[in-house]
Amino acid sequence: MRLKTVLAAVVCGMALGLASGAAMAQKSGGNLVFLVQPEPPSMASYLSTSGPIGLVAPKIYEGLFQYDKDLNIVPNLAESYEVSADGKTVTFNLRKGVTWHDGKPFTSADVQFTVMEVLSKVHPRGPNSFREVTSIDTPDEHTAIFNLANAAPYMLRALSAYESPMVPKHLLEGQDVRSADLANNPVGTGPFKFVEWKKGQYIRMEKNENYWKEGLPYLDRIVGRFIPDASTRAAAMENGEVMYGAYGAISNIDAVRLRDTDGFSVTTDGYAMINPVSLVEFNTTTAPFDNPAIRKAISLALDRKFLIENIWFGYGKPATSALSSNFAATGLYKEPMPNYVANADVEAAKKILDDAGITADADGVRAKAVLDLIPYGEDWRRAGEYMKQALGEIGIQVELRYEDVPTWLKRIYHNYDFAMNVNYFYQLPDPVLGVHRHYGTDQIRKGTHFVNSSRYSNEKLDALLAAGAQEADATQRSAIYADIQKILADDMPVVNLFEMQFLTVYNDKFKDHDVSALGAYGSFERAWIDE
Amino acid sequence: MRDFWQRFSRNRSAVLGLGIIFLIIVMALSAPLFFPGDPFGLAGKSMSPPGESGFLLGSDSLGRDVAAGIAHGAKTSLLIGLIATIVAVLIGVIMGALAGYYGGIIDDLLMRTTEMFQTIPSFVFAILLVAIMKPSIESIVIAIAVVSWPAVARLVRGEFLSFRNREFVQACHTIGMSDVRIMLGEILPNCLSPIIVIGSLMVATAILIESGLAFLGLGDPNIMSWGFQIGAGRTLLRSAWWVCTFPGIAILLTVLAINLVGEGLNDALNPRLRERAS
Amino acid sequence: MNHSTRRIRYVLKRLLQAVPIVFAIVVMNFFLLHMAEGDAVDVLAGEAGSATPEYMAELRAKFGLDQPLPVQLAVYLKNVITFDLGYSFRHEMPVSQLIIDRLIPTGLLMVSTILLAVGFGILLGLVAATGLNTWRDTAISIFALITYATPLFWVGLMLIVVFSLNLGWFPTSGMEDLMAFHDNFWDRAWDIAHHLVLPTITLSLFYLALYTRLMRASMLEQYGQDYVTTARAKGVTEQRIVFVHVLRNALLPVVTMAGVQVGALIGGSVIVESVFAWPGLGMLAFEALFARDLNLLLGIFLLSALLVVAVNLVVDIIYSSLDPRIEVG
Repeated sequence: MRLKTVLAAVVCGMALGLASGAAMAQKSGGNLVFLVQPEPPSMASYLSTSGPIGLVAPKIYEGLFQYDKDLNIVPNLAESYEVSADGKTVTFNLRKGVTWHDGKPFTSADVQFTVMEVLSKVHPRGPNSFREVTSIDTPDEHTAIFNLANAAPYMLRALSAYESPMVPKHLLEGQDVRSADLANNPVGTGPFKFVEWKKGQYIRMEKNENYWKEGLPYLDRIVGRFIPDASTRAAAMENGEVMYGAYGAISNIDAVRLRDTDGFSVTTDGYAMINPVSLVEFNTTTAPFDNPAIRKAISLALDRKFLIENIWFGYGKPATSALSSNFAATGLYKEPMPNYVANADVEAAKKILDDAGITADADGVRAKAVLDLIPYGEDWRRAGEYMKQALGEIGIQVELRYEDVPTWLKRIYHNYDFAMNVNYFYQLPDPVLGVHRHYGTDQIRKGTHFVNSSRYSNEKLDALLAAGAQEADATQRSAIYADIQKILADDMPVVNLFEMQFLTVYNDKFKDHDVSALGAYGSFERAWIDE
Repeated sequence: MRDFWQRFSRNRSAVLGLGIIFLIIVMALSAPLFFPGDPFGLAGKSMSPPGESGFLLGSDSLGRDVAAGIAHGAKTSLLIGLIATIVAVLIGVIMGALAGYYGGIIDDLLMRTTEMFQTIPSFVFAILLVAIMKPSIESIVIAIAVVSWPAVARLVRGEFLSFRNREFVQACHTIGMSDVRIMLGEILPNCLSPIIVIGSLMVATAILIESGLAFLGLGDPNIMSWGFQIGAGRTLLRSAWWVCTFPGIAILLTVLAINLVGEGLNDALNPRLRERAS
Repeated sequence: MNHSTRRIRYVLKRLLQAVPIVFAIVVMNFFLLHMAEGDAVDVLAGEAGSATPEYMAELRAKFGLDQPLPVQLAVYLKNVITFDLGYSFRHEMPVSQLIIDRLIPTGLLMVSTILLAVGFGILLGLVAATGLNTWRDTAISIFALITYATPLFWVGLMLIVVFSLNLGWFPTSGMEDLMAFHDNFWDRAWDIAHHLVLPTITLSLFYLALYTRLMRASMLEQYGQDYVTTARAKGVTEQRIVFVHVLRNALLPVVTMAGVQVGALIGGSVIVESVFAWPGLGMLAFEALFARDLNLLLGIFLLSALLVVAVNLVVDIIYSSLDPRIEVG
């Protein structure tokens, strides 16, 4: 609540041209070192939604909007916007007096170029977010009019610095956007300017003295540090060498320890936009997982509470449907679905298998399968080890396989050479953006990562998904998604495990870092150090 | 043989080492007796400190018994060390023997190949091999063997080189003995002792490499080993020190014991060069 | 033929011999690395979140990864011959630039490690050899073995807990204080040295056993030599024998070993670099492997090979000039 008021005050304050937040006594100056894990491949947030890029680039680039913690739009590079009655024209009034870090003015031409030439073409999610945009008119330097083929209300949720960064036309025009030098020498309009990237060590940024938000940012310098080992990251945090680590940079076990230590805090705020859910994908085209019964039995046999308590140390919420319960806010999630349990129900699982005629042999084995594990850290290995034991209880003999990232990606999304796979997906702020890709027949795209690798295909569901994407009426839409969830709970092409809660660990001296829905993918513009 | 044993037993630390190894082997063999069932099994309360909730050496984050893991893991770790060493020694002996015995172009070719393997940073190379072959117990053994054999090859070559012009070898030639028989039957038995010494030390190194690979996440997820336990416990080091400290101590004791025995063997087998470094 | 021309001929011969080795290393590693599943584009696309197969094909074409393997190899070899190590598509930087950036940190860690390990190894070996089969000898060899057998990451982390967190003497990780902005060279050097202490101790503990054992054995071998007996017969004091005669000769194999290891250590220590976030070549190689940044990895292997060959040669030459009994050639 308090933060919301502050945000409102800041917005008002800026509108009046006053320095903001006099009541909070923020201190200017100071240097911040924060954890970036792992080292990003580049800083091209317009090409890649890679996590570590998201930690760095939004400090340099800005979006048309920001979003407060309740996902309300906060005008940013766009001072205001209007949507026409039919929803097919969206006009953005851009802020005046904004310059790029190289001194050139930011204009509507940059917006037009960014959306039409960059995001719609080379951004991983841009073609989806802006798929209805047919053209952008720029009647003057400070007005950008988006012409849409159909209304696309979800587009207004995708205009943050992280999702849709505005990039300088004058530095990209006439070049191959994918290999432009901008990727390693970013020039944005944001609160911090890029200074230096020492590979294997750090990325250094410094205060943008000409930042258009009067009096901001507070910090003089910010440095993103790379430390490969998780235990060392925690030690560096304890020693005060770094002050902030998000997206699991500090492992849950260390976070719990630091939470109980004076001077450090842990928050799960700042992940509202990404909405991550862990899950098991099945190869639904071959035995034994072509049979929905065994998939349902697995959902019942897994103790979601155990996973959360013992591996993620209490952070997470058992999944109860194909949709995250966070969609309750928009009315798309209503109630827990059948076949989802918090604590394992081994007897129910066995009964389903018995009823389906999947019986045990002399050794008590009903089925054998290899379980692939997402190669993104130790926690997933532990989860696999637990699942091997738990599935053994119902007679499914599991062998674990843990390969490196390229091998795994190739196996799951290109060769489809797997039976079961532990994974996690971002459901994002709308199911159209984050959930449809998992189930639609049109999302069986060989060679494309993080789509429908289960190769589940159901005409009825496809029709509902299509309807859900188009439906403007909230009640109607809610009914459509209720049907979708019922079908998925019955067929279970994917078993959702739990709604993940990512952790941000920070030094208590470091204030106001997670003031938006984007958390660590935000700008740190109002962050300050109390020393 | 008795002579050898006498010399060996004079070295007290070597006998101590042998005793430790014997205990570890007994532990490995009796693991199913004392810890029946799957060492991966969820045995009870998670993260119990040693001595609590019925866990002698504590339990890990999933409630697995650390002691059971150490007992069952002993077999894996010893086998990895042993098999990798045997493979490495075989390759090394073949390469070294051929190079040393024939000399000339064969020697050149084989030794250049050996050098080639020695110029690649060995741990990085082991990581590379495991990553290519996918982490499994077999690939770990192969990787360790591949990075270990060049040292054996060099040693064996040196020995063969010095033996091939000895009188007894010349004599064998004149009575028409085949090269293979000379190499295997006459020269090889004469250079067994340094091979045994270097081999014993390689077992220790192999166990260390396995734990290093596991630390980096390249262990076999289906088989209990000390390396696996260390890899799984390292993130808990600050909160539950026992999870990776006890397997670490197991590795330390084993490596130490093997080294002591290796030095003892060296002393006992090479009375002439009693103190030469291995 | 006089001595120096013979030496030059020897060096040339060795260098010529090295050429096919280095060539073979490149070829072998090239094929080995290409046996790995997936390529740099898979990794980049996987990290990006999503990418269409068309986009990935386009990237492969741009990187030249769509060419048949022999063609890729030929291109690579052609570049290597002109001392061009190629381009890292992941880092969007020339490979040589990436490697050069890591050479200094790697060199610092390796040289300080070898110095510490050799220094202490010589000392301990000397003490052990002069007190052969006493408690000193046993204690030293057990100590050396324990430091060798303790898992490196465990030692590293414990040093961090004790010396960084509890005592506050040293920073936990990294190479320098990122916020210090030293304008004086010496301040900066001091800062880096400060960061270097813990990783150096950790890594040198691992090598300590080797040098201790080598030094001890080498001392004992010298003791058995005729000149020692002669000296003793002449009534030279035991101290003089140890420090003037034996020590000097015993150092030879130790120094040789150290030389060879400096070369072999160019690959760095992945584990120590990882624990202490030290920006060395080992971590670079490790990350390059998992990102399928094959040009970079090949570059590191090639450099390592060249260094080993060069160091071996230098060691042989130094060795032969220290000990005239050893013939070169």
